[in-house]
Amino acid sequence: MIRYVAERLAQAAVIVAFVAAISFALIHLAPGDPFSAAIDNPSINDAIRDRLRAQYGFDRPLPEQFARYIGQLSRGELGWSFSHDRPVRDVLADALPNTLLLMSVALVGSFTLGILIALVQVARRGSATDHVLGGISLFFLSMPDFWFAILALLAFTYWLPIFPVGGAVDPVMHEYMSIGGRIFDRLRHLLLPALTLTLLASASVARYQRAALLDVLPADYIRTARLKGLTEKAILRRHALRNATLPIITMIGLSFPALLTGAVFIERVFAWPGMGYAVVNAIAARDYPLVVGAVIIGSIMVMVGSLLADILYAWADPRIRDE
Amino acid sequence: MAALRVAALLALVACVGTEGPPPKGSGGTLVISTVGDPDILIPPLTSTVQGTQITDLVFDRLAEIGDSLNIVGDVGFTPRLSNQWTWRRDSLSIAFHIDERARWHDGQPVQAKDVRFTFLSYKDTALGSPFAALITNIDSVTTPDSSTAVFWFRSRTPQQFYDAVYPMPIMPEHIWRDIPRSSWRASERAKAPVGSGRFRFVRWTPRQSVELEADPLNYQGAPKLTRAIWSLAPDFNTAVTRFLSGETDFFEGLRSEHVPEVARVSHLRIAKTRGSDYTFAQFNFRDPSNRTRPHSIFGDRELRRALTMALDRNAIVRNVFDTFALPALGPTVRAYQTTDPNLPQIPFNLERARLILDSLEWRDADGDGVREKNGRPLQFRLAVPGSSRARTGMAVLLQEQWRQAGVKVDVEQMDFPAFVNLTRTRAFDVVIGGWHTHPSPGGVRQTWSSMGSRSPTGSNYGAYENPVFDAYVDSALASHDLPTRRALFTRAYEIIIQDAPAIWLAELIPTMGYHSRLQLAPLRPDAWWAHIPEWWIPEDRRLPRDNAPLSTPSSTPSSADSAGRKAP
Repeated sequence: MIRYVAERLAQAAVIVAFVAAISFALIHLAPGDPFSAAIDNPSINDAIRDRLRAQYGFDRPLPEQFARYIGQLSRGELGWSFSHDRPVRDVLADALPNTLLLMSVALVGSFTLGILIALVQVARRGSATDHVLGGISLFFLSMPDFWFAILALLAFTYWLPIFPVGGAVDPVMHEYMSIGGRIFDRLRHLLLPALTLTLLASASVARYQRAALLDVLPADYIRTARLKGLTEKAILRRHALRNATLPIITMIGLSFPALLTGAVFIERVFAWPGMGYAVVNAIAARDYPLVVGAVIIGSIMVMVGSLLADILYAWADPRIRDE
Repeated sequence: MAALRVAALLALVACVGTEGPPPKGSGGTLVISTVGDPDILIPPLTSTVQGTQITDLVFDRLAEIGDSLNIVGDVGFTPRLSNQWTWRRDSLSIAFHIDERARWHDGQPVQAKDVRFTFLSYKDTALGSPFAALITNIDSVTTPDSSTAVFWFRSRTPQQFYDAVYPMPIMPEHIWRDIPRSSWRASERAKAPVGSGRFRFVRWTPRQSVELEADPLNYQGAPKLTRAIWSLAPDFNTAVTRFLSGETDFFEGLRSEHVPEVARVSHLRIAKTRGSDYTFAQFNFRDPSNRTRPHSIFGDRELRRALTMALDRNAIVRNVFDTFALPALGPTVRAYQTTDPNLPQIPFNLERARLILDSLEWRDADGDGVREKNGRPLQFRLAVPGSSRARTGMAVLLQEQWRQAGVKVDVEQMDFPAFVNLTRTRAFDVVIGGWHTHPSPGGVRQTWSSMGSRSPTGSNYGAYENPVFDAYVDSALASHDLPTRRALFTRAYEIIIQDAPAIWLAELIPTMGYHSRLQLAPLRPDAWWAHIPEWWIPEDRRLPRDNAPLSTPSSTPSSADSAGRKAP
């Protein structure tokens, strides 16, 4: 197992390097540069922009810029963020924990909720409950992320003001709260974006899980379990569910990066200071180092998700473990 | 959920300390909802509106411009760090006496050497301040004693006092002298500024908030508000919702669609001020593919005039901005004392525009609705940044109105950096641009004169050049007499309006929403935030957030940063 993990990590390093090169090239192909801001301000003229461009090496040929960047990366440096005037490492170190917090809550929430919905649907398959839950799942599945997020924001912060309007903490009072107050404040701000992401992601989990459960229910071992006199609930929980988790494990692996991209919209609407928020602004500002740094983090998350899925697969399916 | 809300409120109240009551007619916490982060928090380098707002409150100028924005001489200015000043007989130098009560927020006295240091910093190309271009008339600053800074000018101009005080809030030498200027941008001190203004910096949590608090020992007196906080959101709708829901007290940049909602909520108010921004559709006089040649369409003055005449600008502005903008007068704004609000315009007359185009031999011979001349259709690209809803909306209306005159326009939406790149490289036919003006009308030289077209520091991207216009602008800027100055500017504007190097579209009316508990002071046209120290919240309208205590005075960043961090 250790050798397998080591091999996968080596593959991941090559892929991450490749992704870094591609993203570096693509972002530099886009017109504009980091010094395009404030065109409406005549004080910031072309001479100043050119000077800044030279100061940061953007007047050099692209291959030279790339070689310099790779040199930096090899020393473990991700470069300098122009839009934040800070090292990229620091910007990502601020943003990543927030995204991971939001993602992990949403991931656990969406898979728990999705599997529960699927179990209820399968236990009452063909009934009105099954149809209603299926309809609700389809509704959330069809909903564009950003639109649902805006709707949730308006509904629960303005029309029915029970949650704060975005942000990770109360910008005014957080620093003046006790430890307990700060934790409560953070949870209060986390709840609505996490719930939004959970509802959006759980719909597809529910549909996949339901289909997987329906696939295994006609199997011989289920029939045997029934003949042994087990209740339908016990059959579903003990026998069907474990065998129907393989597609869901694949989904967990895929959901890692998918939640990251989904979080881009959620973070923007809820002003959640995570990776998505940072990256969208960085693309708009042509903050090349931050964009490439974020893509590297994203690709690492894909690798981790994929590796996690493989390990869970092996845990769930003895045949794969033996291989 | 109601219980959750009550618990949250109790938790907040329990966690907040209280102080004794502030003096009557003062106190409260102002929370401003804003879109986006500041870039940096020192005056020579900030280029975002949030950064400017914050640094204007943390740092002081030698003197502050008045609400009338009179920049001729010194009559329109009030003392700040300098409590008195003396003009030399030939007016080529001004000696500023520093107020001896003035202190930096770390307790050090403000001295004349700080003024000289600030001037040298702004001029230093290693720093790369965008404001260096505004102080080119200042030759040097000397300090005959610790409380006198003498500005020496290259030439005598009506706005030399403005040149000395407006672009340069004073920076503390003792904080910055050990840091190479090329490293200021990367320094942690640029994110935790030490100034001398009535508010002092407390904290900046990137992408969340910036907090300032009252400097109770300030030489000008403590501000009336206890704290001012910028609540940052990346999304416009989120920022508006924060304001509408009462989480914040103030929001700048309300749009017309928010008016019914603001009107519905009894405690919300709207405030407007005179604007300092105007938008325009700028023609490129040079061929984008070969700049040595004139543009095949826009080199013709009569054609540009016909295109202007084909547009109902009043309808466009009304449609896009409702009452939140006025039709622009020209390359100026109404807030200037030198602007005649009755400047004659090229009138909307579609029939006449069609006749002019006919006379110029642009005719629709094949009946496809688009005019041609020598086989070439009257067709061009109109570039617009997709991030600006207003400019995109105007582009669509321009396209439609020009279509009725037989002109085919391809609207090209692009993201902002791409738009800037297209404009800078002069690779456009027409762009919908905008300028934010400073209190001096002299900025028109950089944006519309021949110098602005030819100089690398110029921003006249359409390359309009008319020496008569240039001469009137130069004469106006050299005039000390306001009526003469106004008359000369009026003549210059008349010339450029009739030459139609651009179609002057809209002059924006800054519209702010605020909570009725806020007691506002007048909003200055160039900087609505200038009088925030005079705002306050009555005691009976205060919320728990208004009672947070002042922190201990902010300290200088650690000596570990003394050498600064070098940006790559």
